[in-house]
Amino acid sequence: MNYLPGQTWSSQPAQHHHQFASASYNTDPSAHTSQPIVTGTSVIAIRFKDGVMMATDTLASYGSLARFMDIKRIEKVGENTILGASGDMSDWQYVQHTLDKLMLREQNENDGHILSPSQIYAYLARVMYNRRSKMDPIWNSFVLAGVDPKDGSPFLGYVDLLGTTYSASTIATGFGLHLAQPLLRKAVEGREDQIEEEEAKRILEECMKVLFYRDARSLNRFVIATVTKEGSKISEPYSVPTSWGFAEMLRGYGPQTQ
Amino acid sequence: MSDITTLNGGSCIAFKGKNCVAIACDLRLGNQALTVACNRDKVFKITDKTYLGMTGLASDVDTLRSAFRYRLNMYRMKEEREIEPETFAHLVSSTLYEKRFGPYFIEPIIAGLNSNNEPFIAAADLIGCLNFAKDFVVTGTASDKLFGMAEGLWEPDLGPEELFESISQALLGALERDALSGWGAIVRVITPDKVIERTLQSRQD
Amino acid sequence: MLGLQPGSSTVVPTSAPVGHRFEPYDSNGGSIAAVCGKDFCIIASDTRQSTGYSIQTRYKPKVFRLNDKATLATNGFAADAEAMVSRIRQRLEWYRHSHGRSMPLHAIARMISTILYGKRFFPYYVYNILGGLDEEGKGAVYSFDPVGSYEREFCRAAGAAQSLIQPFLDNQIMFKNQHSTPEHTVPKPGEMSLPDVLKIVMDSFTSATERHIEVGDGLEMFVVRTPPSAQGEAIGAASVDLKAMGGVEAVGGEDEQEEGAVMVIRRELKKD
Repeated sequence: MNYLPGQTWSSQPAQHHHQFASASYNTDPSAHTSQPIVTGTSVIAIRFKDGVMMATDTLASYGSLARFMDIKRIEKVGENTILGASGDMSDWQYVQHTLDKLMLREQNENDGHILSPSQIYAYLARVMYNRRSKMDPIWNSFVLAGVDPKDGSPFLGYVDLLGTTYSASTIATGFGLHLAQPLLRKAVEGREDQIEEEEAKRILEECMKVLFYRDARSLNRFVIATVTKEGSKISEPYSVPTSWGFAEMLRGYGPQTQ
Repeated sequence: MSDITTLNGGSCIAFKGKNCVAIACDLRLGNQALTVACNRDKVFKITDKTYLGMTGLASDVDTLRSAFRYRLNMYRMKEEREIEPETFAHLVSSTLYEKRFGPYFIEPIIAGLNSNNEPFIAAADLIGCLNFAKDFVVTGTASDKLFGMAEGLWEPDLGPEELFESISQALLGALERDALSGWGAIVRVITPDKVIERTLQSRQD
Repeated sequence: MLGLQPGSSTVVPTSAPVGHRFEPYDSNGGSIAAVCGKDFCIIASDTRQSTGYSIQTRYKPKVFRLNDKATLATNGFAADAEAMVSRIRQRLEWYRHSHGRSMPLHAIARMISTILYGKRFFPYYVYNILGGLDEEGKGAVYSFDPVGSYEREFCRAAGAAQSLIQPFLDNQIMFKNQHSTPEHTVPKPGEMSLPDVLKIVMDSFTSATERHIEVGDGLEMFVVRTPPSAQGEAIGAASVDLKAMGGVEAVGGEDEQEEGAVMVIRRELKKD
């Protein structure tokens, strides 16, 4: 089954559960092959004047079933960093635990040093790459965003199940890569240092709306998280108004013609 | 590697110049990695000032060569004049598109001077999608290398001798990096009053 | 779906399991090239990173400064390239700690070869070009395949647009198919001046950008040479005022801290 670039899950979960039970597939000991089961869709994020902003909806799907409607897909990592996840939600929760342990270990050092966004990113990228090298990937695409507490520089980075990394002023995963990324680039590229917090929020809301219109695995209930040099905040889930007026005249296909 | 478009190997290139055009090809005929002949000219005279280059499956090149000869003779008899290179490009295109769902495995390029002696070049894919380029066209197993060479060496308004030099360098450079093309080359520079035809020596490996 | 084979009492699967096996590799596009002269070396890459038809970022460097005399260009799977470069950097640091000097270029080349071959059965999917100055201060280029075969050359292109760039360099740097005439003598390979080589490298990448979808956005050219200050009177490549070209960033050495030993020249490429 092919998946699109940046899309790390499929809409057909566990078709062969019964096969594993009865037949002896996967006798190859090196095949830890997994597949995403409960999945989250796009993460979108942009840079703006005072820092970085990120949005995800709150849905976790089980194949085409909208299974969990109130899942947090953006979490804080320390005070100056946020992490957004798409892909497998159990792997995502495992990564949260891993990073919680990391942050706790670092805090216990009590050496006055706290990990900067780029350091957490480097750690996460190594975890992801090491697991892909064991042929046992963590089936997610992550967007990590933050502002360095020391020099106030913004950070926005991507890392996925292959360990592939990159930074850019706009990042989108999953369906967002196809639908939102062009809109984000048009709105942000070259204007990173001019966009006010309000405008950044409007840009992301517009993209979340577009995604809700066209991504079948999405929900019009999302959170927007912001990091500035003052610290990070994650909003309560909310919706944007949508209009379906264009569908008024649509009668569908086949027998339902008029 | 049972791809029939690369079975015989071979490459062609055409440059547009100032009041002249050049068209060149290699001479190899192969059977996969085995070289069978090194006198396989892939450029054919259509009229005094229009030439056609074809690369791809050698048997289809032969078939199409006679198909075009027939169609050109019909054109000459009906119209009582020589075909213009642009018209000929459309003839090539429609001939190829006739076999849209069972194509000839060749990719042609056309170079010539029209009746006003304006230079004209064009290329098509195997089902006749035309590309009227302003600068150069390439085809064959070394096409990507030819693109790299031509994009770097071509410049506008070259005279016949300069055009000969740059198309030769572009072709020879590409041939040396392509295992399926080479074993000599022929360059033709078409000018209003004559066609300069030169055979180039190249590596035999 | 399980099926019983006729005449057989055991259950035999008749179809392969649905779902895909994890594919640990990706191809991230882009192209790299390196050319050396008598007393300098230029190592260049575009800065686009892509997967399939989508551009991930317009700026992700593929060329890495290793020390004052060595620069490495990587191309292929970006995650492997990064992991590999960090291993190489760690080995170079260990070498400095135990030997009190930087590892010479030919030794770095052999080390990269063994690191690559060490993963012969789960290779780093990376094409490498190592450029810099050898122990005599001469420009040098080493090129590698993903499993460690390598050779020293005057110039090399690799990556998505290798087939476009390499023949052009053969012609313009190695002077292939060019013959001397009474009026004009063709120079020997590796004797071109720094500004001339820079022009050819820039042309190579603008050409590749024009005709290859995976190449574009930005160009980074690293220039490695014996810095002007170390020689007293600046001669050869050292006398070229790169800063006058604009878009030039001087990279001071991390070990010897020599200002101007490695400089990077940045240029825009088309973004479509």
